[in-house]
Amino acid sequence: MNALTISTAITTGRVELVNTRQRSLFTARFRVLWVVALFALIAIVALMRIAYIGVVQPGPAHTSMAEALLPPRGEITDRNGVPLARAFPAYALWFNPTALGDGGAPLVKTPAEVAAQLVQIFPDMDAKWLARRLASGKAGYLRRRVLPEEANRVQAIGELALEVPREADRHYPQGTMAAHVLGYVGADGHGRVGMEAVLDKQLLDPAQRGKPAMLSIDSRVQGALEDELRRGMLAVDAVGAAGLVLDVDTGEVMALASLPEFDPNKIDVAGEKNMFNRVTNQVYELGSTFKPLTMAAAIDAGVVTDLSRRYQSARPLEMGGFRIRDSHVMGPTLNVPEALIHSSNIVTAQVADELGGKALQRYMTDLGMHERPYIELPARGFPIWHKGDWPRLRTMTVSYGHGIAVTPLHLASAYATMVNGGIWRPATLYKVEPGHAAKGRRVFKASTSARMNQLMRMIAVYGTGKSADAPGFRVGGKTGSAEKPGVGGYRRSSLVSTFAAAFPMDRPRYVVIAMLDEPKGTAASSYQRTAAWNAAPIVGRLVPRIGPLLGVMPDENHDIDLTDLAPLVGGKKE
Amino acid sequence: MNAAPQISQPYIPNAGERAQKSRMRLDKRSQLRIWWREIDRVLLVMILLLMAIGTVAVAAASPASARRLSTSAVKLDDLYFYWLHLRWQFLGILTMLAVSMAPRDWARRGGIVLCAVMLAALILVPFVGSEVNGAKRWLRFGISLQPSEFLKPAYAITMAWILSWRVRDPRLPVIAIATGLMGLIVALLMMQPDFGSAILYVGCWAVLVLLSGIDIRRIGLLAGAGIAGIVATYLLYDNARHRIDAFLGGGTAYDQVDLARRTLMGGGWTGSGLWLGTRKLSLPEAHTDYIFSVIGEEFGLLICALVVVLYLAIIARVLVRLVNEENLFTILSASGLIALIGGQAFINILVNLQLFPSKGMTLPLVSYGGSSTIALCLTVGLMLAMTRRNPYLSRERFDLMAALAREEGAKEAGPRESSRRITRGKGGRR
Repeated sequence: MNALTISTAITTGRVELVNTRQRSLFTARFRVLWVVALFALIAIVALMRIAYIGVVQPGPAHTSMAEALLPPRGEITDRNGVPLARAFPAYALWFNPTALGDGGAPLVKTPAEVAAQLVQIFPDMDAKWLARRLASGKAGYLRRRVLPEEANRVQAIGELALEVPREADRHYPQGTMAAHVLGYVGADGHGRVGMEAVLDKQLLDPAQRGKPAMLSIDSRVQGALEDELRRGMLAVDAVGAAGLVLDVDTGEVMALASLPEFDPNKIDVAGEKNMFNRVTNQVYELGSTFKPLTMAAAIDAGVVTDLSRRYQSARPLEMGGFRIRDSHVMGPTLNVPEALIHSSNIVTAQVADELGGKALQRYMTDLGMHERPYIELPARGFPIWHKGDWPRLRTMTVSYGHGIAVTPLHLASAYATMVNGGIWRPATLYKVEPGHAAKGRRVFKASTSARMNQLMRMIAVYGTGKSADAPGFRVGGKTGSAEKPGVGGYRRSSLVSTFAAAFPMDRPRYVVIAMLDEPKGTAASSYQRTAAWNAAPIVGRLVPRIGPLLGVMPDENHDIDLTDLAPLVGGKKE
Repeated sequence: MNAAPQISQPYIPNAGERAQKSRMRLDKRSQLRIWWREIDRVLLVMILLLMAIGTVAVAAASPASARRLSTSAVKLDDLYFYWLHLRWQFLGILTMLAVSMAPRDWARRGGIVLCAVMLAALILVPFVGSEVNGAKRWLRFGISLQPSEFLKPAYAITMAWILSWRVRDPRLPVIAIATGLMGLIVALLMMQPDFGSAILYVGCWAVLVLLSGIDIRRIGLLAGAGIAGIVATYLLYDNARHRIDAFLGGGTAYDQVDLARRTLMGGGWTGSGLWLGTRKLSLPEAHTDYIFSVIGEEFGLLICALVVVLYLAIIARVLVRLVNEENLFTILSASGLIALIGGQAFINILVNLQLFPSKGMTLPLVSYGGSSTIALCLTVGLMLAMTRRNPYLSRERFDLMAALAREEGAKEAGPRESSRRITRGKGGRR
């Protein structure tokens, strides 16, 4: 009885055990699948995230060794390979108030102490401004372009909040030189203003940035042009100056300067005001420099066939209540060479009147005066150009450079056309390989061009351009002193004085334009404000400097033959 | 009456096993041959493939870390960590193979003994441990040792052992005992503090408790407790709080998470090529915590996806084979071990993919790890030992449909059925 009870209990226990084992095993086996499903779910999430990253991630999909060795932004050089803009791996000074990470004060020392130490490293920084900046607790740049040794000294201050991240900066080794041509690189890493903006894509393209972008600029010529322009500008206290040197056969811009300049290495408010490019963006009434163009058109059209023909020049021309007069009476009559030498508005207007508005308009259109100038720079001014048929008065004023406003670059291209045999070509800032110059379009006959070369040279020899006549360089050119339009008509006191020249006139190679904005009469210009006294001397000093650099040697024994025309102007120097 | 002695002898499951084993002694060669037949060779190949990926990845990441850790006085060779890693991997593979040859009982006993030793060491850590990066995790007695690393596999085995007691006596409060052990270890880890390891221990415990048949409602409670635990950790531990804050806040420009993101995205789908990555150079812990990002930069996102798939394949291989296993301890211990490896792997991967706050956890079997490589190989070795099976035995196929149906039925008729089949008691169906 007893034994039976025990045995039943044990049997029950055994059954229970086996049951438990079976159930436990079954549950465990079944739930193992749950665990598999859980891990599979996590893995799917991870894979989807990887796919998301792979599809959405921005750009830098490939990095190569070769690319790492390239500059972050391509170099820009002048036509001889002299670097004008180069990549400059520098540091920046960044204020990170959360660097300490404890939510307390961003700095260990007081802002004033840190500011004082920073000023010791960067003497040009303002301690008070820095202290305020550090106390404000706002993250941001304290300074760009920090040199490695300066970065070391900043680290040595021992403030974690002062970070010096590496940045690919841009350096212009020649400082302000050719600033308007080059432009600068903004904080976003993209170019602004000049060729930095134009070439932005190419300079950043890994496939192309290894090779420097070569400009047509010659840095030696550019330097000389800026130097002489600045000297001339300061001497007569002008508000600005512009100049360029253009290859007449290829349209290459050898130098292009707009003053006052800005420093692309250090962009500030004052610099931003000066970014305006007077050569390509500002339109001026360029005055008498248009007279040779009018005369060329008249000769080319067959209106002026006899250079000895005389036009009256004693009386102002009356035209619809408007009087066209000369600065002074130059005699009762003048022929065309004399009119150019003395710069007579009256005679030029009569010639233009004979030529007719339609023809003059066509020549001016052929010279590109009706549209923005051709050059790569983004900032190109639109001329003030009268659309439709020109009335007589308009034709007459345009003939001596009023009632039409163009950029100095327009004028340079037109002069190049006039002296190079009559072919107009777009100006370019890219270096042109020999034989690859733009085809251009014919505006003047070659004979017209040859005649104009003589006349241009005569102005410099006998007329208003004498101070530009650098010995041996056979300079020819025309002055222009135009009153600037102001409120209620022209202002007699503020002028734009221009000298547009070409050299050497026996085989013209380069056009040089020098322009001064609002020159004053100073002792340096004998208290005169006209171009003969301020703009022409700039060219006179510039040509001997740049001529030999550009392959034009001074030669007293060569000159354009003026023997057929000299008698018309009395053959004597004025 | 004369039958009584036979009947009254208590039932012991697997009672004959020991006698059978001792019946015939095998020489080394036949033991090796049996091992080769019984081992899960697919699993072994996948593990070795993963370690090979690790070898290449550490070679890729080594220059970054070597340069970062070089000082003016000591300049580390670019491949410094690579050569060290090769040595550790060699030792690790030896350990793995040696351990995998152990019979299951030996592995269990060894695991339990190791657990006791390492637990003692872990208790010692707060008193004699050395501090690295603001956490006391290391014991240095001639060699450096992180007890929590070696405790992991031993812990999984011990937990499985404890939970499988139930098969012998359903009345034992095995879950309570296991939870107590887990609580003790987690408390010790939190003192170090080592939040990442603690999560792994809790995760391993959760998997084992789940497998040993805890009630569904309790799982819900556990999940709630887990969330509460994370919130508590967030509130109580500075380190964890900073990391979670950094994760949620997106991180500042130059912190680890951001650098890792840039590195991972630096290579696109196909990567920059071995030793051609540049982002990795600014990455702290390139060869350990963020090696997945380095793989992404140098070998591409496709290889990253391959690594993820490989981990999943290893996990699935181990677990799916357990489905028709007949020994509860085997199921539990192998699941616990794979949960440790898989959990660590996926937490690391999710950290690298910015889906999880930074944990300071390595990618198992891939990262450079020093002695922790040995610990991981020990884990894998134990797993291999546990999953050994005789290929000539046919097993009952696990019928998923039938299991699902049965599970449904059990849920509906649960209490009634159990009261009929099993004597009502404390350890009834739990």
